[in-house]
Amino acid sequence: MHMADALLAPAVAATMYAASGVTAGISVHKLRKDDEPQKLPTMAVAAALVFAGQMINYTIPGTGSSGHMCGGMLLSALLGPQAGFLSMIVILAIQCLFFADGGLLALGANVWNMAFYGCFVGYYLIWRPIMRSGLFGSGKGAQRARIILASILGCVITLQLGALSVVLETSLSGITELPFGAFVALMQPIHLAIGLIEGLITSAVLVFVFESRPELLRDVNARPGEAKRSLKATIAILAVVALVVGGGLSLLASSNPDGLEWALFGNAEAGYAENMALDEDDFGVQSDAADKAAAIQEHTSLLPDYAFTNSDSAAGTTVSGIVGAAMVAAVALLICLAGGFFRKKHSK
Amino acid sequence: MNKMEKALHELSEMDALAAQDSPIHRLSPLSKLIATVVYIVVTVSFNKYQLSGLAVMVLIPVFLFQVSGIPVRTCFYKLRIVLPLVMAVGLFNPLFDRAPMFYVGSVAVSGGVVSMLSLMLKGVFCLMMSFLLIATTPIDSLCAALRRLHVPSMLVTLLLLTYRYVGVMTEELAIMTDAYHLRAPGQKGIHISAWGSFLGQVLLRSMDRAQELYSSMLLRGYEGEFRYAKTSPFGAVDAAYALGISALCLLLRYVNLAETLGRLLVR
Amino acid sequence: MIEFKDVSFSYERGTPVIEHLSFRIEAGQSVGLIGANGAGKSTVMKLLLGLVSGEGEVLVDGTPVQKTTLSQIRRKLGFVLQNSDHQMFMPTVYEDMMFAPLNYGVPRDQAEQRVDAVLAQLGLEDLKHRHNHRISGGEKRMAAIATILAMEPEAILMDEPTAALDPYNRRIIINTIRDLKQTKLITSHDLDMILDTCERVILLSDGKIVADGRADDILRNRELLEANRMELPFCLAGR
Repeated sequence: MHMADALLAPAVAATMYAASGVTAGISVHKLRKDDEPQKLPTMAVAAALVFAGQMINYTIPGTGSSGHMCGGMLLSALLGPQAGFLSMIVILAIQCLFFADGGLLALGANVWNMAFYGCFVGYYLIWRPIMRSGLFGSGKGAQRARIILASILGCVITLQLGALSVVLETSLSGITELPFGAFVALMQPIHLAIGLIEGLITSAVLVFVFESRPELLRDVNARPGEAKRSLKATIAILAVVALVVGGGLSLLASSNPDGLEWALFGNAEAGYAENMALDEDDFGVQSDAADKAAAIQEHTSLLPDYAFTNSDSAAGTTVSGIVGAAMVAAVALLICLAGGFFRKKHSK
Repeated sequence: MNKMEKALHELSEMDALAAQDSPIHRLSPLSKLIATVVYIVVTVSFNKYQLSGLAVMVLIPVFLFQVSGIPVRTCFYKLRIVLPLVMAVGLFNPLFDRAPMFYVGSVAVSGGVVSMLSLMLKGVFCLMMSFLLIATTPIDSLCAALRRLHVPSMLVTLLLLTYRYVGVMTEELAIMTDAYHLRAPGQKGIHISAWGSFLGQVLLRSMDRAQELYSSMLLRGYEGEFRYAKTSPFGAVDAAYALGISALCLLLRYVNLAETLGRLLVR
Repeated sequence: MIEFKDVSFSYERGTPVIEHLSFRIEAGQSVGLIGANGAGKSTVMKLLLGLVSGEGEVLVDGTPVQKTTLSQIRRKLGFVLQNSDHQMFMPTVYEDMMFAPLNYGVPRDQAEQRVDAVLAQLGLEDLKHRHNHRISGGEKRMAAIATILAMEPEAILMDEPTAALDPYNRRIIINTIRDLKQTKLITSHDLDMILDTCERVILLSDGKIVADGRADDILRNRELLEANRMELPFCLAGR
C-alpha cells in the first residue's frame, strides 16, 4: 500500500502532507503536554520492532501464502494513538528513505493512509470503545475476546479506509485511466482479505502481551464506570463498518461506475474542485469556477493538465520527440561513461 | 539470507555510500533536500502524454550520480519495490485509452501506452533522485536539516533513535527467524501456534530494553531535549546548488529539450 | 568517594534483594563487585546511580543520592552498560560521545576536543565516524567506554565489561581498564579480569556482603568462592 511519487499529483501530495503534518503537530503537542519523557525511547524501540516485525512471514493455515502484522493497531494499543502515530511516521519515513518503499513526495499521503487511520480511527473508534465496553461480559476470557474483536475490526476497517484513500488520491491525481468504480472494486476486496489476516496476527500478538504483561496495553482492566459508553461506542463502530462495507458493496454492484463519479465529484463545490485540481474533461463537471481554474492552470501552474492540447500537431511533433528522447538517452549514457572514465583516471 | 538480513545489508550499504566523499556529499543536506523535492515535484507534474519532455529529466540525476561517484545501477535494486504498484496502476491505461496518438511506421501508439510509459519513467526518476539524497547524506545530517526546517524535535529525535534501533531489532529478529526455521524445517513462515508468542516475546523484551535505554540516556544528562552534534552551515555553494537544480528543473519542464534536439535532425 | 550506609532494597511484594549493605570506596580505588547470579550486584549499581531507591543512605562524595541531587551525582559517575547496544543510541560513535558533554553544557568545540582526546587515548581514531550498527562487538565495547570517558566522570562503573568478547578483545579491554585513573567499580563473573584490574573485591551473596578485602586474598580462597557458587580464577585454578 506504499504509494510511489509517480502516483500523485503535486497538489494532492501537498494536501496530504498538510493533513498529516497538522495531525503530527497536534500529536506532538499532546505528548509534550503529558510530559512522559521515558515515552520517547519506548516509542523508538517499539517503532523499530514493528519495522522489523513487519518483515516476519506468518503462515496462513490452509493456504500456501503468508501474511504480516499491522503496525498501526499494535502501536496505538501499546503506546496510545498520538505516540503510535508518530512512531508510524518514523517507520514510514525510514521505509521511504532507506528502502524506497513509498516515495518522498508521497510520504504525506502514505502517513495518512496507513498511520492516521490505523492509529486514530483504530484507537478512538474501535480499540477504546470495544475494550471499555461490557461486550462478552467480564473476566479474562471476555477481555481476550474483546482484544481479538478490536484487532480484527480495527485492521479490517482501517485498511479499507486506507485502500479507499489510495484510490481517491490516485484518481484525483489523474494518474490512471481505470474508472474510479472499477479501481475501488479491485482494491477493497483484496484489502478486506489482507485486513482479516493482519487482524488475526495482530490480535495474536496483543493477546500474548495481555497474558504476560497486561499493564502494557491501553484500556485493559478499565473500571466499570467507563463501560457506560459502550452503547454509543458500539453504534459508532457499526456506523463506520456499515459505511465502509456498504460503500464497497454498492461499488461492486454498480454497473455504471460513472454514476458514482458524478455522485462524488459532480456536486463538489467549485473551490474544492479547484483545490484538488479536478479536471472538468475527466470528470464531466461543468462550472464557471472550474473553467476559470482550468484556464489559469493552463497558463501558470505546475499541475499536469490532462486535456489533450494541441492534438493536431501532436503527431508531427512527437516524431521529433522520439528522436530527441533517443538523443537524451545517448547523452545520459555518455555522462555515465565520462563519469566512469574520470573516476578511473582519478584513482590512478 | 532471510528478509531481515537483506534489509540489514541494504541499510549498511546505504551508510557506506553516505560515508563516501564527493562534491555532492559535502553539500549541506538542506540544499540537497530542497533540490530533491523540487525535482520530484517538477517530474511528477509533467503531463501524462508529455513523454519526450519527461525523458530529458533523466539527465539531472544521471549527471549527479556521476559527480557523487555513486554507480547508477546501485539504485535499480530498489526499483523492485517501487515498480509493482506503479505498474499495477499504469497497466490499465492502454486498455482504457486506446485513441492512437501517433504512428511509428505503421504501428499506432495509443495515448494509454504513452501515459503508462510516462508513469513508469516518473517512478524511476523520482526514485533515482531520492536515492541520491540518502546515498550522499548521513542520517544525522539529514536530521539536523529537518531541525532547521522546524520539524518538531520530538519527531526528529524519534527518527534518529528509531533508525539506530532498527538495526538492533532487525538483527535480533533475523537471528530468531533463523533459529525458528532450524527447528521447523520446511515451514515457510511462522506457524499459527506461535503467531502471538514469536513477536510477543521480543516485544516484552523490547519494553525492558527501552527502559534500559532510557536509563542510559538519563545517566548521560538527558533532560528531555536532544542537542544535535552536527550543525552544517548553509553556504553560497549550497544556495547555488539548490537554486541551480531548481532552475534547471523548471527550464526542462517548460522547454522541451527532446523536441528541440529532435527537430535539429528531423526537420 | 562512594559510601553505602545500611542500605536495603526490595522490589514490590518481593523478597529483599539487598539487605543492610554498608561499605565505603575511597577515591582512586578499583573495586570488583562479585557474586553469583541474583546476588544483587546490578541492584547495587542501580542504587548508586539513583535508578532505584531503597532504605538507608547512599552517598557520593558525601552527597546523598536522592531526586534533587541526581544530575549532580550522575555527572560524576560514568556507567558502562553490559549491552553496548542499549547504551549507544545515536547513529555514529562520534555523536554518541558528544551526547553527554553537550547535555552537560560543555561548549561544542571543547566537547569536540574531549572526544578527540578520548579517542586518541583509547586508540580508536578510526571509529569516530563509524555507524554504531556497523562496528564489531569488541569495537562496540571500546566505543561504549569512550562515550563514558567523554563525560570525564570521577568514577567509572562497569557491568560485565568483558562479557561475550574474544580473548584478544578481552585483553584490550582489560588493559584499557587498568590504564584508567578514575575510581572504578566493576561487576563481573570474569574473576581473572577482576584479579587483573582490581585491588579490592567485595563478594556479595543473597544481598549481603560475605567478604570484603584484597583481591589477592579473596580470589585465592577456594572454599569461600565455592561456598558462594563461584570458582577460582582460571589462572589460579591449576595451582
